[in-house]
Amino acid sequence: MILRNVMYFWREAWKSLRRNKVLTIASVSTVSICILILGMAVLMTVNAGSVMKKLESDVEMVAFLEHALTRSQISQIEEKISQLDGVKSVKFVSRDTALARLGKSYGNKEYDLKSTLGKNPLPHSFEVKARNPHDVPRIASKVDKIDGVYKVNYGQGVVERLFAVTKWVRAISLAFIVLLSLGAVFLIATTIRLAIYARRKEIYLMKLIGATDWFIRWPFFIEGILLGTLGALLSILLLAGAYSSLISNMGSVYFIPLVTGGPILGRLYIALLAAGTVLGVAGTSISLNRFLDV
Amino acid sequence: MLVQFYNVSKIYSNGVKALDDVSLKIERGEFLFLMGPSGAGKSTLIKLFFREEAPTRGQIFIASRSIVRMKRSEVPRLRRNIGIVFQDFKLLENKTASENIAFAMEVVGANPKEIRQRVAEVIEMVGLKGREKSFPGELSGGEQQRIGIARALANRPLLLIADEPTGNLDIDTSREIMELLFDINRKGTTVIMATHARELVKAARKRVILLDKGRVVADNPNGESIV
Repeated sequence: MILRNVMYFWREAWKSLRRNKVLTIASVSTVSICILILGMAVLMTVNAGSVMKKLESDVEMVAFLEHALTRSQISQIEEKISQLDGVKSVKFVSRDTALARLGKSYGNKEYDLKSTLGKNPLPHSFEVKARNPHDVPRIASKVDKIDGVYKVNYGQGVVERLFAVTKWVRAISLAFIVLLSLGAVFLIATTIRLAIYARRKEIYLMKLIGATDWFIRWPFFIEGILLGTLGALLSILLLAGAYSSLISNMGSVYFIPLVTGGPILGRLYIALLAAGTVLGVAGTSISLNRFLDV
Repeated sequence: MLVQFYNVSKIYSNGVKALDDVSLKIERGEFLFLMGPSGAGKSTLIKLFFREEAPTRGQIFIASRSIVRMKRSEVPRLRRNIGIVFQDFKLLENKTASENIAFAMEVVGANPKEIRQRVAEVIEMVGLKGREKSFPGELSGGEQQRIGIARALANRPLLLIADEPTGNLDIDTSREIMELLFDINRKGTTVIMATHARELVKAARKRVILLDKGRVVADNPNGESIV
């Protein structure tokens, strides 16, 4: 009984898809375009997110130490910094290393900075990274209060602006994705409503003959699932093709690090496929109930 | 007693009073005409039988069961016991004659073997043997209505309701359809037929209920005084 019904539902769904070719193509394209746009938005967001994350993770502070500290005082300071809440790593940079780096940054091996200056004017310092880049200003003010620390530098001002920008970029992309999803549900529901409207007589007849609501619903749901999944598959193929050619053509040229990680993209494509299926079912159930009320 | 209506009124949400205090009884095996001018309430009365509409007031029993306080989930079972024949046939154009009939059994979950047997039986009954594979568009109006009747009979209903079944047919074809309905009635199915066709009712000498402005204005056992 149950198995027979299941077979009947699939047969009916398949027949209806084949019989109403134009509507089928319209629905599949609608889903496909919606998912494609949604997918592009998500990809952009993911990429923007990874750029943001990279920019943020570059944020660190440098704590310059006072001159004339003993070795044990220095290691005490290091201890204190690393015990602060939210500190990820503390790295000691001796004044010699700092000078060598400075020299390197001028890029001339012949040129000896030390002999020009006569003595090394740079202090010892610690490079401190926070577990969460947003904590940097808070930690910096604490580090500043430790005895023996002369000055803390983390790009004050610039960092706050960077965080404001990344916050907005994230909020806007999220809002964009939510709006697109709503639009997609609406568009798909409308298209499926057309398909159901074309069969309203059949539904009415089934109701009068004594079919249960679920008996009538199932073929439509299966249709919705098939439409949604097919549309999503199409758009994922397009999206994956376009994105991989984008990576191979542009990835090396631009400084923007495109997300190429297989697992992230794989998860995205699976999510889009699921979204297509859900959109198909949601669109169907929104549209169907009105016609079942006989 | 197959059908009992007690003081049934129906007022639509737009304020139209379609039925006003209607009471009637129908025995098993009866053949009954429902007459009256357009807007008299025939369609509303018919819709109450299979609960496409629920009454505003009053009580309705079919086979001793109240259908007024019926849950939505119980309606399909009621409808499976009632066959409906429509004026415009309501056949699915993309299904053949036998598929249209089988459809009625598929939607109530009958098994394929049972469906094959019963479809052949009712096709024979309505005199359409040989036309099983034809699509509705390839058949005459009379033949299409025969499919409609066969479909209504497929699930062996207690009650057959025909809403102006000859409304779209010429007089000779109408007579043939009437003969078919009488035949079905003789085999034991209760038949209720709403119609405007006085000629047919006159010739039939069956019970007639006359509606006007939502009220039963006459109920005559052999139709003489009405037609």
